[in-house]
Amino acid sequence: MNKSRYFWLISLLVIVALALVACGGETTETTETTTGTDTTAATVAPAAPTTAPATGAPVRIRWFVGLGAGSDEPTFAPQQAVVDQFNASQNEIELVLEIVANDTAYDALATQIAGGNAPDIVGPVGIRGRDSFKGAWLDLQPFMDANNYDLSDFDPAMVDFYNVQEEGQLGIPFAIFPSFVLYNKDLFDEAGLAYPPHEFGAPYIDADGNSRDWNMDTLRELAMQLTVDRNGNDAFDADFDPTNIVQFGFMNQWTDPRGVGTFFGSGSLVADDGSAQIPTAWEAAWRWTYDGWWTDWFIPNGPYGGAEFLQGPGGPFSSGNLGMMHNHLWYVAPWALGDANFSWDLAATPNYNGEITSKMHADTFGILRGSRNSEAAFKVLTYLLSPEVAPQLLDIYGGMPARISLQEPWLNNYFETNFPAQNIDKQVVIDAMAYADNPNHESYMPSFLETTDRYNEFWNRLANEPGLNFDAEVATLKNALQAIFTAAR
Amino acid sequence: MTTAIGRKTILGFPRQRKPNSSLLRYRQKWGWIFITPWLIGFSLFYFLPMVASFGFSLVSFNLATPDQIEFVGADNWRRAFVDDPEVLASFIKTFRFSAITLPAGMIFAIFVALLMNSKHVHGKIFMRTLFYAPVMIPGVAATLIWSGVLNEQTGWVNMLLQNIFGIQAVGVEGIRWLQNPQLIYYTYTLMGFWGVGNAMIIILAGLQGVPTELYEAAEIDGANYWQRLFKITLPMISPVIFYNLIIGVIGLMQYFLVPYVLNGGDGSPQGATRFIAVWFYKQSFAFFNMGYGATIAWMIFLVGIALTIALFGSARYWVYYSGSED
Repeated sequence: MNKSRYFWLISLLVIVALALVACGGETTETTETTTGTDTTAATVAPAAPTTAPATGAPVRIRWFVGLGAGSDEPTFAPQQAVVDQFNASQNEIELVLEIVANDTAYDALATQIAGGNAPDIVGPVGIRGRDSFKGAWLDLQPFMDANNYDLSDFDPAMVDFYNVQEEGQLGIPFAIFPSFVLYNKDLFDEAGLAYPPHEFGAPYIDADGNSRDWNMDTLRELAMQLTVDRNGNDAFDADFDPTNIVQFGFMNQWTDPRGVGTFFGSGSLVADDGSAQIPTAWEAAWRWTYDGWWTDWFIPNGPYGGAEFLQGPGGPFSSGNLGMMHNHLWYVAPWALGDANFSWDLAATPNYNGEITSKMHADTFGILRGSRNSEAAFKVLTYLLSPEVAPQLLDIYGGMPARISLQEPWLNNYFETNFPAQNIDKQVVIDAMAYADNPNHESYMPSFLETTDRYNEFWNRLANEPGLNFDAEVATLKNALQAIFTAAR
Repeated sequence: MTTAIGRKTILGFPRQRKPNSSLLRYRQKWGWIFITPWLIGFSLFYFLPMVASFGFSLVSFNLATPDQIEFVGADNWRRAFVDDPEVLASFIKTFRFSAITLPAGMIFAIFVALLMNSKHVHGKIFMRTLFYAPVMIPGVAATLIWSGVLNEQTGWVNMLLQNIFGIQAVGVEGIRWLQNPQLIYYTYTLMGFWGVGNAMIIILAGLQGVPTELYEAAEIDGANYWQRLFKITLPMISPVIFYNLIIGVIGLMQYFLVPYVLNGGDGSPQGATRFIAVWFYKQSFAFFNMGYGATIAWMIFLVGIALTIALFGSARYWVYYSGSED
């Protein structure tokens, strides 16, 4: 072999070696998420396929947690306990828990689905989480029919809640979170105001014994009286200084324009023919809120969002400087109100034009279409949703059971355990269920995430800029949504 | 030594004639061998993904439903050019921001480099280290620090302005550096000043390469500081400025980290920071529209190429290469 041949041979070997090094696959071992495991690690953990196992080996079912509740560290151990309990109860299926931090869970799940490595079960997941992955869910109806799944313990409306046109029954009711007004009793006492009514449909009886319809106007007036500046003037006073507010009256805390709109009535941004629309009640709610931000001053606007006096563990209401807010049952939890140094209670949602709408959040578990063992996944699903196991999970996630038979005992236990010092009117929670929004405010929209992004931009603009031409802004939003809907077709 | 023969050039660089000696062929062979590993890496990790991304731009592909991938021809391109006003708007926002930050950043970098090269400045090594140090801090960490520093309620910039200069800066009526759409580009530019180290070092190297005899001759001729700056210094470091300009333009077409970390890429305040790279990210990785995202990526690439070619085209009028034979 001459010198030139050696030269080419060595060169070729070097190149091949370099190419092999460059293209070498990772040797990441499959690790399961266990109690206390770092959530980031959990996102990359299981790469092993869930193909049919060899004879005798259990089928592996992956349970992905992160789109809703369940990705906070204190929930890891109890969830793993449920998994261990299931695995110990039989030897045909091995359930593996994967917990991903909520802020990265959407990307992680999308990547897993796209990579053909989809988990089997996902949940708890709300409507928003579900519709962010539209088309990715398995219709459970055939499995429910084949197994004669008993739905008699659920409100039929809640079952229907998960029935999506052209996609089927995407979930079985698990946890529900009705909404209502929460109010700070101390601030009402300080202002000499009577508390808002607890009974849905009942009037507001003021401190002088006068009866008034419990509607948005009454709420606004109460809220303005509870809004106070540094000099002690309320929002009705001529000397009120809106640049130095130290206490606000009301807000729809932690919701988006669809949630705020639904405070005035159910609706959808999607018309029956698929075009963009702004429901009349929503436009009224948005205008009411815009005025509340910039002219009536009873709602914290954008610039006040970062104000120190509104920073509580559960946002403005838990700071003790917000008189009332509208929110869901998930907020009535130790993490938000456990350390509240004021008295609070629940009240009925006011009406708008005589109609009460208390928006509903609901969580469930779904099976992905990419699951390679959907039969086994359904078995796990029925286990998790069973009357025996569901209460354990509901305690972990803080959700109210969708099973009617479990609701009252759960509520009693939940409030007594978590808020023994507060005398909370739990009947408000039960009554609120009857006023759930339909269509739900989180329901499907074309190009769900892009549409959400666009209306949030509209909302941020309103929250941060006074003196806008409100009608023009709404018209701009509608046109923008129409463009997105058209592109989505 | 360069063996340029002939007068024809490509983008200002002399074109070389095909080698014909055995020594040149030998050198060329070894040259190819040495760059082959890089070529393989480039092909695998750059060229093939680029081809794939162009393929993606012709399909409708959502990450959540990969099995529903569908060939849509030029639909994504039509959407980007015709149906989606946000693409053009995002490019315009990028250009508007560039029009502020690029000249400001360049002038500031030259200013700092001149300062660090001045014989009148004491402790230059220490000062250079200080100016360069921020570059070593990860961008995300730096951005998060800036978000605290510029917070309208608790940031020390506003507190300083209010307590020392008596300007109403803190609170609801204060200066909202990160939430005011009229201020946000200047805020980002200010944050960019902090990371001037890289450009400063490169310009400083250019400054130190300017022959001192040119200054001595100019001084003898009676040229003052400004004349020396504009007639000698800037022309002599124009290749370095040109390089920084190219890097800056490409960097701005990819400007993403700061708006993403500060605002989660939601475009706030009021859509002002929805630059084209942010819109690309949103479409691809937030909305999972990978096909459309690939189209936007290609538009960014094409615009970046066009701007780079335009800059190279303009170079002959203002960039001075002392070693060029042209």
